[in-house]
Amino acid sequence: MSETLSGAQILCRTLVEEGVQYLFGYPGGAIMPFYHALGDCPELRHILVRHEQAAAHAADGYARASGRVGVCVATSGPGATNLVTGLATAHMDSSPVLAITGQVSRPMIGRDAFQETDVIGITLPITKANWLVQDAAELADTVREAVAVALDGRPGPVLLDVPKDVQNQKAEYRPKAAARQPSPTPHAPSFADGVAEAARLIAAAQRPLLMVGHGVILAGAYAEIRTLAEQTGIPVITTLLGISAFPECHPLHLGMPGMHGEVHVNRAIQQADLIVGIGLRFDDRVTGNTAAFAPRARIVHVDRDPAEIGKNVKVTVGIAGDARDVTRRLIEAVAPRRCDAWWEEIRGYMRVRDESWRDGLSPEAICRALFAVTGEHCSVVTDVGQHQMWVAKLFPYRRPNGHVTSGGLGAMGFAVPAAMGVHLARPDEPVWAISGDGGFQMNMAEIATMVQEGLAVKMAVFNNGYLGMVRQWQQFFHGKRYSCTPIWSPDYVKLAAAYGIPGWRVERARELEEVFTEANAVRGPALVELVIEQEANVFPMIPPGGSLSEPIETAPAAAAT
Amino acid sequence: MAEPTHALSVLLDDDVFALNRAVGVVRRRNLPIASIAVGPSHIPGASRLTVMMQTDDAGADRMVKQLQKTYGVREAELLRAADAVAREVALVRVHAPAEVHQELTEIAELFKAELVDEGPDVFVLQVAGAAWFILSFIRALERFGIMEVARSGAVAVRSAAPPVPSSPTSTSATETVL
Ligand SMILES: Cc1ncc(C[n+]2csc(CCOP(=O)(O)OP(=O)(O)O)c2C)c(N)n1
Ligand SMILES: [Mg+2]
Repeated sequence: MSETLSGAQILCRTLVEEGVQYLFGYPGGAIMPFYHALGDCPELRHILVRHEQAAAHAADGYARASGRVGVCVATSGPGATNLVTGLATAHMDSSPVLAITGQVSRPMIGRDAFQETDVIGITLPITKANWLVQDAAELADTVREAVAVALDGRPGPVLLDVPKDVQNQKAEYRPKAAARQPSPTPHAPSFADGVAEAARLIAAAQRPLLMVGHGVILAGAYAEIRTLAEQTGIPVITTLLGISAFPECHPLHLGMPGMHGEVHVNRAIQQADLIVGIGLRFDDRVTGNTAAFAPRARIVHVDRDPAEIGKNVKVTVGIAGDARDVTRRLIEAVAPRRCDAWWEEIRGYMRVRDESWRDGLSPEAICRALFAVTGEHCSVVTDVGQHQMWVAKLFPYRRPNGHVTSGGLGAMGFAVPAAMGVHLARPDEPVWAISGDGGFQMNMAEIATMVQEGLAVKMAVFNNGYLGMVRQWQQFFHGKRYSCTPIWSPDYVKLAAAYGIPGWRVERARELEEVFTEANAVRGPALVELVIEQEANVFPMIPPGGSLSEPIETAPAAAAT
Repeated sequence: MAEPTHALSVLLDDDVFALNRAVGVVRRRNLPIASIAVGPSHIPGASRLTVMMQTDDAGADRMVKQLQKTYGVREAELLRAADAVAREVALVRVHAPAEVHQELTEIAELFKAELVDEGPDVFVLQVAGAAWFILSFIRALERFGIMEVARSGAVAVRSAAPPVPSSPTSTSATETVL
């Protein structure tokens, strides 16, 4: 049965049909017909952000936490261009985001009309696909296709650009027929042989490692990875985006690799004779100089995206497939074994670092207290910088997919808005956004969104008075010239008060638990400022382009004065 | 630029967005490109994009995989120049006062070029062939005074008897190589 509706109404109907519940957006001229139609569509809850970048990050956070498509909406021109950072973030981290932008009416396109931007051209390299919708009659099918493309195979962002006159145009609307036929993934090679070969390599290896990344979370292969690890005793390394794919407290968990990986993790990689990488892309922050990466190891690489296999490192066996399917087949093919001698060797690499922290307010103390208060269901969304690395390494993640961060793009300003999306996907669990004083100030306007929409996101700011990670690089590599990295902050307690939410300033470790407990208990958003040591560094560090074998473990003497 | 080493052949949906996306993937490799040509293929609704470029087999393999997952791309393969037949067409407007007509006609015959249009003092000549052949033709006309050259860029197909096993487009990275 069909009915005649406007393009805007068709858009609303199809989104509901696709199971969309939340839209993060901001209205404007070219998207007004859609906002008009939204008024008749109570199934869609719209979250009015304070900047479209936040809408894209929030949709991304929702998508990562729910596994469903996250939707953001913006007007043409400046609204659309403000989405770009969020879409690039989703693209780098394989997150299924659907962006809907208004566009000037068809007869105006190409004439530099008011608020006309070629958003299709701008977003081509940072979306899986995008569409300029030319006719309202095509709108419903295009939305369905867009959602399918965003979720299919390796997920990623898509964008629909809808001219204003198409939103107003009347067309026949037919509800979705039967369940969508999943479009076959093109060029999917069979992996039967790869699995057998991988199993043989695992059986023969003396020093094997499992390296797991975001693909494991996207596939929900938590139990499978755990079974594979327990069956073989192989140490498990989690990449930045693989954190929370495997319980941090598990005796087989080794840690995070790469630029800020612990020394024993990187040394294990350099000594390994086999690396089984599942759902990661051997990014340069993980490998350091690829020529010197894991020189003794053969690599088995499992990834959903065949284009990733062999892209950054040479692989002995490449298996293109879903992390869960392939890991299941590996479990069947691999005989139980142990790695006791190898573990003994790795334990020999471990060392304790002690650093002095003013009043004990160290990242360790902060993460310990936060975990003690929030328990195992907590989701932590981090921003970009030193705090991101500390929290990645020190928070004892238990909740599968409990760690959300901007990995590939490293977009400061991500945490606060993304946490709004995570909160809506997990309304009954605590969600903490942890930022630096720099990144927090990029999107702190979203506190207003939280207040207006009643989103109970808890925020913590690591205040070191610096763009800390850049300052650290200046200290190490630029003769301690702190050019343009000291950053002033407002009084965060007063800022919280201005938004009408509770705020705390913590300067001593012993205050942590009490403050976190109170902040966690309030019903709405809350803000905690953590006044940490100003010139603390993230150790160890592999210098950019360096080998994993050569970590920096203390501040360089020349600059350490 | 130096000689292209590979002919990239892409079958894609017949729309400008698919074309834009495919060319974007090629552009991001940041490799020297000799020519780009696009036109209809043997399949209705699908275009054939041919890019003559310089790369190595590993780079070729990476690019083909990126293209194969690009929305709107149906098939992609990279042929080593040695395994492909590549040809293009050129149109040349050249000064042709009456006294050189005879000489121009002889050169055209030598290159199997066709006189497709003529006016007072101007010939438009069409020539087809491999890139080096077209270049020689253009060089032979230079002394008459070339007014304009338009070249189509090469289109390519696999040669009649290609060496199948060493095809650079096989997904070698996903095969077991011990
Ligand atoms: C949008 C954006 N701009 C710039 C950078 C470069 N950058 C990386 S880390 C960093 C410093 C972050 O400072 P802060 O938010 O205070 O965190 P800290 O490192 O001090 O914990 C900067 C500027 C970035 N990653 N993202
Ligand atoms: Mg800071």
